[in-house]
Amino acid sequence: MANRTLPRLLQTPAVVLLLLWMLVPLGMTLYFSFIRYVLNNLRKPEWTTPSLSNWRGFGNYEYVLFNAKDFWFAVQNSLFIVVSILVLTVILGLALAMLVNRSFPGRGIVRVLLISPFFVMPAVNAVLWINMILDPVLGLNGIAVEGINAWVRGLHDFPVLGAFFSMWPEIEPISFRATQTSAYAVIIMVTWQWTPFAVLIFMTSLQSEDESQKEAAILDGASAWSRFRNLTIPHLARPIAIVVMIQSIFHLSLYAEIEIVSRGNGNKNLPYLIGEFTSNNIGAASAAGIFAVILANIVAIFLLRMVGKNLMD
Amino acid sequence: MAVIDQTTKFGKVFWPVLAWGIALIFFFPIFWMVFTSFKTDADAVKPEYLFTFKPTLENYLNMTDNYDYWRFAINSVITSTFATGLALVVGVPAAYAMSFNPSRHTKDILVWMLSTKMLPAAAVLYPMTFLTKNFLQIYDTHFLVIIVLCLINLPIVIWMLFTYFKEIPKEIIEAGKMDGVSTWGEIKDILIPLAWGGVASTALLCFIFCWNEAYWTVRLTTTEASTLSKLIEGNRAPEGLFFGRLSAVSTAAVGPIVILGWFCQKQLVRGLTFGAVK
Repeated sequence: MANRTLPRLLQTPAVVLLLLWMLVPLGMTLYFSFIRYVLNNLRKPEWTTPSLSNWRGFGNYEYVLFNAKDFWFAVQNSLFIVVSILVLTVILGLALAMLVNRSFPGRGIVRVLLISPFFVMPAVNAVLWINMILDPVLGLNGIAVEGINAWVRGLHDFPVLGAFFSMWPEIEPISFRATQTSAYAVIIMVTWQWTPFAVLIFMTSLQSEDESQKEAAILDGASAWSRFRNLTIPHLARPIAIVVMIQSIFHLSLYAEIEIVSRGNGNKNLPYLIGEFTSNNIGAASAAGIFAVILANIVAIFLLRMVGKNLMD
Repeated sequence: MAVIDQTTKFGKVFWPVLAWGIALIFFFPIFWMVFTSFKTDADAVKPEYLFTFKPTLENYLNMTDNYDYWRFAINSVITSTFATGLALVVGVPAAYAMSFNPSRHTKDILVWMLSTKMLPAAAVLYPMTFLTKNFLQIYDTHFLVIIVLCLINLPIVIWMLFTYFKEIPKEIIEAGKMDGVSTWGEIKDILIPLAWGGVASTALLCFIFCWNEAYWTVRLTTTEASTLSKLIEGNRAPEGLFFGRLSAVSTAAVGPIVILGWFCQKQLVRGLTFGAVK
């Protein structure tokens, strides 16, 4: 048929653009990961320009794996952050989707309120949470704790019981700017942003649930829990898997939130560590980058399989 | 068939109240940001003015002096609009060809396109800086930001369009062919009018993603082409001195997008799950 070439021609710009976008930078990363390449080195100025004569083999990979002090911490922390967010968003998402999946007055408004956090840009999300909400002095966190303390102090003047209350300690607000706690802050803000996404997907899926099957179960006297366990959960298995995988891909490359919340306080994930390497040691940054690609691909392969399977039906 | 109503009287009140309560909690940070934006910087950090204060518009009126807001906002509008436009110009013909003239490879091409989305941006940070700064010399230009935003979102755009186009009966397009309509005519006069809703929501979602992008727009710009993400990121630690003005500029940065988002919540599912959840 004559109209074979035209469809191909129409796809060409998209394919070529994406091919370039993928292959050129990735090829360069691969190349840099095998050479010695640093931006500043007074003793070895020849290392500051990329060249095959600075070939280092797997030296950068070895350095990243065994000598770079933060690599394993960053990998571990990346996984900790991603897994925590996944667990929280899936559980919250399921609960909220079930809650909103019934008709009640103002349901439309509830949906709009619930979905809103997803559209807040990540930079604003991070700045808003870490300053106005979680700050231990000026944020709502600090103000609330101070309020509780003031209230307890008021109880000190109580006759008889006052002596008892004065033995209570003052509560210290949690500071979310230390290494470990700022990871929690990131988890909180990303969970806030992505729970709406889970809710939306679970809700969409719940609406396609087979109602007659459910009714039959009710008539057979199945309890609410066993209906949820045996009908709803199997029905939601696929959306849950999709939510988990899409979020993994997004959160493995989490950057803006970490940059804003914990610049320089030691809390880092893999993308952040690569960013740090990039300020000087390009060889190491590239090797770490290849590890990040491998990590993302492990997740991606499963997702692509699943998406590809029902592509043509 | 009506669902058997098992809800007790207690449940009829309790569950909706709970849903409302949780929804309000989720919306609270956004509300708080908007609320704080009407306080002066001094009032914003005083607990005694937590809920009662004299509202002021000064934070909004001084946005230009304080943050040069409009320069960043205009950059965001320009880059997001052109990136979305470009993504559609490249994406519509591709999705059209794939849905109406699929070949053996169409499925693989689609899945491969999606896989480009999974490349962690940090892995190619230095090559991108190197290429655009030293080699192509387009670092910190609108052109670069537009191209990058377009490429990041192109896979999602093509996927979404593909799922919408597939819903159009093939016969309609075939009929057009019989009548001797050119390919361009088919796209312009038959496909776009039929899939208008789908194309519009794809564009809307693409625009939102462009607007909120916070990796490349921050890393590949310094001043000229910086977007709102970069503006906010640059003011990450105001040390509490500027809560009022920071809230105002944040509200101005996310307000329009959150409202746009309300209109395309349904399409979001399709866009982000690549049609795998219906």
